[in-house]
This record gives sequence, structure tokens and C-alpha cells, in this order.
Amino acid sequence: MQRLSWHLAVIGMMVAGNGIGEAAAKKTGVAPTAASVAESVDRLIRSEIDASKIDIAPRCADEDFLRRVSFDIAGRPPLPQQVTLFGLNPDSQKRAAVIDQLLASPDFGRNWGGYYRDVIFMNATNQQLRGGQSVFEEWIAEQLNTNKPWDEIVTALLTATGDIREHGETALFLAHQSQPAEVAAESCRIFLGIQIQCANCHDHPSDVWKRQQFHELAAYFPRTALRPVTENGMQRSFEVVSVNMDNRRGGGGGPEQIRENPERVMAMMDRNRDEKLSKVEAENGPGGQFARIFERLLEVGDSNKDGMLSVEEMKKLPDPQMQRRGSSEYFMPDLKDPSSRGTQINPKFFVDQTTPATELPDMERRTAAAKAFTNPENPWFARAIINRLWHEMLGEGFYMPVDDLGPTRTARFPEVLDELASGFIANKYDVKWLVKTIALTDTYQRAVRSKSASAPELPFASQTPTHLRADQLFNALVTVLGVDDRAPGMGPGMMAGPFAAARSPRNQFHTIFSHDPSTPQEDILGNVQQALFMMNTPQFRGAVSATGNNRLGQIVRKYNDDQDAIAEVYLLALSREPSDQEIKVCQTYLKDTGNRTEAYEDILWSLLNSSEFLAKR
Amino acid sequence: MFTSWQQDVSMTRHTVSRRAFLHTVSAAAFASGTLSFRDVVTVRADDLKKQGRAMILLWMQGGPSQLETFDPKPGTENGGETKAIDTAVPGIQIAHTWTETAKVMNDLAIIRSMTNKEGQHDRATYQLHTGYIPAGSVRHPGLGSNIARELSAGPQEIPSVVGIGQNRQGTVGAGFLGVDYEPFQVNDPNRMPDNVVTGTNEARFNRRLGLLGKLETEFAQRGGETVVENHRRLYDKASKLVLSPKTKAFDLSQEPASLRSEYGDNEFGRGCLLARRLIESGVTFVEVRHGNWDTHQDNFENTTRLSGQVDPGFAALIRDLKTRGLLDTTLVAWMGEFGRTPKVNPRGGRDHYPRVFNAVLAGGGVKGGQVIGASTKDGSAVDHDPVEVPDLFCSICHSLGVNPAKENMSPLGRPMKIVDGGKVVDKLFA
Repeated sequence: MQRLSWHLAVIGMMVAGNGIGEAAAKKTGVAPTAASVAESVDRLIRSEIDASKIDIAPRCADEDFLRRVSFDIAGRPPLPQQVTLFGLNPDSQKRAAVIDQLLASPDFGRNWGGYYRDVIFMNATNQQLRGGQSVFEEWIAEQLNTNKPWDEIVTALLTATGDIREHGETALFLAHQSQPAEVAAESCRIFLGIQIQCANCHDHPSDVWKRQQFHELAAYFPRTALRPVTENGMQRSFEVVSVNMDNRRGGGGGPEQIRENPERVMAMMDRNRDEKLSKVEAENGPGGQFARIFERLLEVGDSNKDGMLSVEEMKKLPDPQMQRRGSSEYFMPDLKDPSSRGTQINPKFFVDQTTPATELPDMERRTAAAKAFTNPENPWFARAIINRLWHEMLGEGFYMPVDDLGPTRTARFPEVLDELASGFIANKYDVKWLVKTIALTDTYQRAVRSKSASAPELPFASQTPTHLRADQLFNALVTVLGVDDRAPGMGPGMMAGPFAAARSPRNQFHTIFSHDPSTPQEDILGNVQQALFMMNTPQFRGAVSATGNNRLGQIVRKYNDDQDAIAEVYLLALSREPSDQEIKVCQTYLKDTGNRTEAYEDILWSLLNSSEFLAKR
Repeated sequence: MFTSWQQDVSMTRHTVSRRAFLHTVSAAAFASGTLSFRDVVTVRADDLKKQGRAMILLWMQGGPSQLETFDPKPGTENGGETKAIDTAVPGIQIAHTWTETAKVMNDLAIIRSMTNKEGQHDRATYQLHTGYIPAGSVRHPGLGSNIARELSAGPQEIPSVVGIGQNRQGTVGAGFLGVDYEPFQVNDPNRMPDNVVTGTNEARFNRRLGLLGKLETEFAQRGGETVVENHRRLYDKASKLVLSPKTKAFDLSQEPASLRSEYGDNEFGRGCLLARRLIESGVTFVEVRHGNWDTHQDNFENTTRLSGQVDPGFAALIRDLKTRGLLDTTLVAWMGEFGRTPKVNPRGGRDHYPRVFNAVLAGGGVKGGQVIGASTKDGSAVDHDPVEVPDLFCSICHSLGVNPAKENMSPLGRPMKIVDGGKVVDKLFA
């Protein structure tokens, strides 16, 4: 069905209204406030939904709003007393006030930093290198908390250099080992929402991008390398470096250069003029680089096995088996002859067709890429993050999947997206402004409603319950059960050092419960291992016991009235009061069980294992 | 046969089980008269034939040296100190540390001409598990998940894909096939898997599930209907597993001590025994991991130790499956992500070498007692009959009765074949 919609979209495509909002904002020169943009967003959405005669869900209850917005902004549920106080607060502006409070908390950066960590690292082509993700997480959290504009954050990510232990912004190059094609594809997917990598191998059947254009994007990154950092003879880390040395001009470079001009190499090194290079000649050659690879060249290229290389043998040297490291230009593979080197490609940005000068050094090249990505005239840069944040907060995006925008896709409510984009750009890519605007909309604050399969409705007429991300869920468990976040990992044989973090309870939990945040909500179904963990993990047993000095034990001892005690357990686990029906079910259970302590343990167990606990409602 | 149901392309989010699908289709087709009784019977027979097919992957993490396993080159410079021994099949020799495996050579087919380009652990591990090279944009399904999706007969009490042993490389899971085919991990074969045992007695566990069911209705009414329904299905599955007598399959203490010692008193041997128990209980794909074969230093001591851990379990598994009549329907594959340099490096080690490596297949219709392909004398290249990763994967599919050209839809709506290209290595089945 998705494929069908592609084809349909291709027939009549052209993005409606692109750039109109931006133009308007530029004219007036005043950055619109979050409240005013939220209002226009609501007006636009309401008029379209009204026109299609669909009921709009009512405004959600205070307790639902508080739980939702706490998770969305700060990645954690509210405390029970906060829920009660918020409900009692008569201030008509209390929702706006709590949004501002949450945005000011350092948990804001941690929450969205964790989100972007998962976006980047869950797609890492080298999973071994995921060790660097905690450094990235800290870095991005700080950027977000200090409210660095989004264009600056993305520029830092695209132009990063340095040791991965100190430079979290190296994340993309780390996750993809600095492979130009992967870095290009992922930057494009994450920051522009465009899946241009489909054009890696062929012209996209239903997209406007051509294969050449993908490789022109990759050509911004061939001079960036990920190198091991060695200290005292041991590899300790990696670093992202620029490789600007052009091997072709040096004497005796890698196999490619040797193959290209064997006569020159021969003239330079063949001391005894026997038209063959021996090991001794290689070692006496300039630079010494040739000597280092001579053994290997012999292994692959010495066809007559005389232990020496002739010009003919050098011409026939095969391509190196690994990726073309050290080549300072980018080559588009020849599909008909994959073992050949391919065609050299110069960088060119597919959106606006701009080209930086050729043969630029690495940093200038990547700076040019960052400029092109973050250019306010590039419609996809603002829209990609808006679509992501909106999707994360409302459960549905303007474009679905969340990282598949582009001129051939059809957005739902495109004029709403335009409105948000122009406001975001006018506010200089202020991410807190964007989150605030979304949270202020009535659309965000609607009650949840099940989508009826028989009568598909327009999105945004109601909220959609979504799965909490692993970090949010773990924060909820910390709040409810008092699970210690920082305790060392369980089990013997723990490694010390940077890997210890990977064994922390949070990370172990993350391993089981994480999902790629770019996945559509309906595809996130949970799995058996998660269910088993929630049901049976020994980690929780102490915390759900009602006899210990833990949250549950305190409630059970403090409240003799079961109605009160049940309400407290609900506030703790679900941040809301129980309904009459729920109180009745629990009371009956208490009576049938005949053991008050056990019954409360079972009630808390059930709430922790409920779908509502796992969901943002 | 019938185009209406022989669709090659199916959506990722298919929640209908194979069996349920069959029921629905046959009932509907009967009603509309488009499917005759005979067709239905053929469909069923086809399905039944595939049932019971299974695969065990013995994964040698780190890249096992071909020269110290199934392609020794004694007496040559590259061969090093490794000797060759005769096997049960005259003319076929393997490395001297594999004494037990040598005895079951009649059932093994050695491929000495595997060749590939990926020389980096993570990427090659991904490729040898999915058949595809990694791409940031698509998480390809692992072979096990693909096979389970094709072969397993609907919802089961125990998971259809199981991985045994620590995962040192990144996990290769179900990719875009989704959680139903996500491998179930058993870290230590000597213990029951994590969280399968309840902390309470069965009666209380059931009571809790009952309460949970009642309390879920509220959220369903408040707009969480879909979420609640998905959650209920998941919890059904998980609690079935917890309460199922089939979890006994995970309990090795049920096996006689003699057999346990035959498999070898180490983690890999226990993993192999567990694999056999799981296959018997209806699991479709089990991966038993062993490592670390990344012998950059002291290759000969290290591979001797590693081979000693794998040899008894590998041989015992083949014998045991055969005794139980399971070898015909169970394909056993032994492999790692690449081979190692024929030339020994100054540290007495061998480095990564994807250009030539080996793999062993047994059971599942594979003709044993043969060697496919060969490496050159010095081991630096494939001499004849090169087998590339897609060829190996096509052959595995062939053994299991899975169509390698079948396409599944990736989340971006791009159809992806189970195996892209490649052809079956006919000699394996001749």
C-alpha cells in the first residue's frame, strides 16, 4: 500500500505552499511568539477537521496533560503530589506555566538528547562503536539545555573532529566509521528527512533524486576519517580527522596510485635498473610508505612469484579489499564493474544544486555541506525536525514515516507545517520555542481516542497513545519503585572503565526496551522479552513488596482506608486517580485475596504490567 | 498454483500467522468457489512438508582460521604447525584438533571456497547473518528471522528464533520483519533464560494476570483500545511461555549425564545440547555462538584451545540429531564472519581475510562426506568453485524449502528479497 501511495504521489506531486510562510516571516521581520503560532496551527487544523465533519476530541484532563507533557519535555512522569497540586491549581494559565518550567529543567536536554542518541546510534552501521554514545548524549543534552539553535547543532555534527571521548559531536562519523556514503545517507535522513540513499544503487523509481545526486552528496565527506587513538601501545579510542593529503602527488602511495602510474614508481625506486622492484629497493625508496605495503603488494600482485614487482604486475594490482580509505576524492561505483574504481564525483547539493569549489580541503567541504543543509531556503531542514518533534509528541507526523519527506511525498496538513516552519526559522531555529509551540496547541492537548479501523479519521482530531521510549520508561520505574539509577550492574565479572556504563541498570534496561524512534508507532509492538522482564525480573521484587520500607510499603502502612491506599497506588504508578470502577475491582480483589499485603503487591504488579504504564496517554 | 494467495510480496506488519492465513484463505476461497478442495490439500501438504524443518547455526565469532579448521595446509610455509588428520571419509583431511568431528565427516559437507569482501567484524557479521551488507537506512532481517517467518506454524508457546551465548558483536535481529521474529536470547545455556521463572507461585501468577486483565479495561475505554489489545496479545504469549511445560526444553538437567559429557563440559557444548532440545520442541532456528576466534596473536595455541571447545559439541550434535531422526530435517551450519590470512604475522597470529574462508553444512538434505571447492596451494585465493555469501544463503534456503527470491516489504515500501542474487550450490545436494 505504501508503494502504491508513492506512485500516486508521483503523478500529481509538487509541494503545496512551500516557502510561503518563510517569505511572510521575512517581510515583517518579527519573530512570532509560540502562543501566536500555536493559535494559527490550531485554527488551520480545526477548520480542516470541521470541514470533514469529524468530531474533535475534547481537551484532556489535567492529570493526563501533566503526565503527557512531563514525559514529552522532561522524559519522566510527574510525582504524585505534583499531580494533585496541579489539579487543584485554579490558574487558567497553569498548563503554559508548567511547559515553561519543564523546558527550564535540565531533564529537557536529557530527554531529547536520548531521543537523538537513539535516532543516530540505533542505525549505526558499526554497532561495536556504540560505546561513544554516552559522550554524544552528554554533548547533545548540553546543546539543547543551553538552547543552541538547531542549525548550529547540526553544523557541529557535520563538521566534527577530535577524540570521540571528548567530542560527542563526532557521533555520525563514529556510528558509520566515516564512510562517506553512510554519513551522507544518514545526515540526509535525520536532518532533512529525505531518503536519498535509495538512489545509491539506481535512479529512484519513484523519486526525483538521481543516483548521481546521492553520490554528489557523499562527495562532501571523503576526506573525513575515523582513526584509532593509541596510547602506550594500546588502542584507547578513536578520533575523527581530516585527511587532506593528496596521495596522488606524493611518491609511491597506495595501490591505486601505483597502478595509475607504475612507470613513475619504477623510475623513482628501481635503483639497479632491472625493471623490477625488490624489497630492498622498496625500503630505500622515498617516504617509506611504499615499503610498508610492499609485502602486501607482493602477496596480491606478484603473479610470476619472483618476489619482485614489474610494471606489468603493478598495472594489474587489484583494488584493495577494504573500503577505499585514504582516497581523498569520492568515486561513484561503477555498477557494471563493481571492482573498478568508478567515476570521480564532486560535491553538489541536491536540493539547490549549489556546488562548492572542487578539491576543497575536508573542513571547507564539510562546512559547505553544513551551510547547504541549514540554509533557511532549504525547505527540508526545518520541516524534518518539526515533523520529528510533532510525531514524537502527538504520535503521528505530517509525513509518515517520520524520516521520509521530500517533494514526492504528500504531507497531511501541509499549511500547518509551513506555519510552524516559518515560525521556527523566524525564531532562529530555537528548539525550545518549537517544543513549547507544539505543547501549547489545543491539538496537542486533546484527549486520547482509539482510532476506528472502519472509519479512518484525519490525524490530529484526537491524541494518539504512544509507547514510551526506554529512557522514559526507566525514569518512570525510578520514580515509582525507587529503582536506583546509578547502582553498579548486577552480576559478577563486571568490567571497570568506560564499559561499566554499559552495564548500568539503565543501559541494561535500554538494551531490552529500546526501539528506533523513527519507527511508526503502530509498528512498535513490544516483545516477549520485555513482557517477561516486567512480569518476572528479580530486580523489581524488592520494590513491589509491600512489607519493606519502599513506596508501596509506606502507602500500605500509612493508609488504613483502602480507597485512599488504592488512590495513592494509582497516583504513584499512573499519575492519576482511579475511577470508581477501578476502585471497585481493587476492593473486590482485596476481599477475595484475604491478604492485604499480598493484594497490594498484586495491584502494583498489575499496574506496572498494564499497557497504560508503558504508554503515553 | 493459486496466484491469489501465492503472493510474493507481503507487508511487514503482517500479524496473521501462517496457519491462520491458510484457514482464512481456504475458508474464503471455498465460499467463493475459487479454490478447489484439491488445491487446499496441496497447500496443506506443502505446508506440512516444510513443518519440522529447522536450522542450527554454529557461529564462530571473530573469524575462525580456515587453516586450523577444515582447510589445513600441513608442510607448507603458510600452513604453520597445524597438522592434518584423516576423517571417516577417505581422502578428506581436516585440522588435527578436530578428532571428534573427523568421525562424523560422512554427514558433513565442507566448503573450502567461501569468498567475500568484508574484512571488518561488525559489517561481515551482519552480512553473514542477513545476506546483505549493512545500510543505515534498512535493518535487514537475520536469516533466522526470515526462516522462522517462512517456516514456523503460527503462534507457539516458545519463541521460534533463539540465540544462545553472549553476543559480542551487535545483535542481528528480525530487522524490519518486526518483533514476532525477534530472536529470544539465552545468555547462559546452563541456566533457565532470564525472567522466564516467576517470582511467585503459579496460582498467584495466574491471579495477578486475572487482575491485570480487569484493570486493563479502563484504559481501553479511555482511548487506549488498540494499545491494550496489542499488549494483551503480547502478554498472552509471554505468560504462555512462563507457564508452558515446554520451557523444560531450556532445562539441560533433564538430559542424561553421559550425553551431556559427550557434548562437552563447556558453554558451547551445552549450547549445542540446548539447541537440539529446542529444535525438538518446535523451535525453527537456533544460533549457538562461540568465540573469540579473532586470533591476531598466538594463532596456533588459541585455535587449539578454541577447537577443543567446539569439536565435541559439534560432533555430538550431528550424532545426536541423527540418532533421533532429526538430521534429515535439520540443517546444521558451522561458520564465522571471514577467514584469516594464510601468511602468519610476526606475532604468530593471522589477520582478517575474507578472500578465502570455509564453512561446513550438515543435515537438511545436504550430501555429506564431500568437499566443495578448494583454496590455492598457498591458501591465498579460491582455486575453483567459488561460493559467495548469497550462494551460501540460497543453498540454506534450498535445504529448508524456502524460496530465496521471495520478497518482503521493507518499511519504506521497498521490496527486499530474502536473498539478493546468488545461486544454489548444486553439489551440496547432488
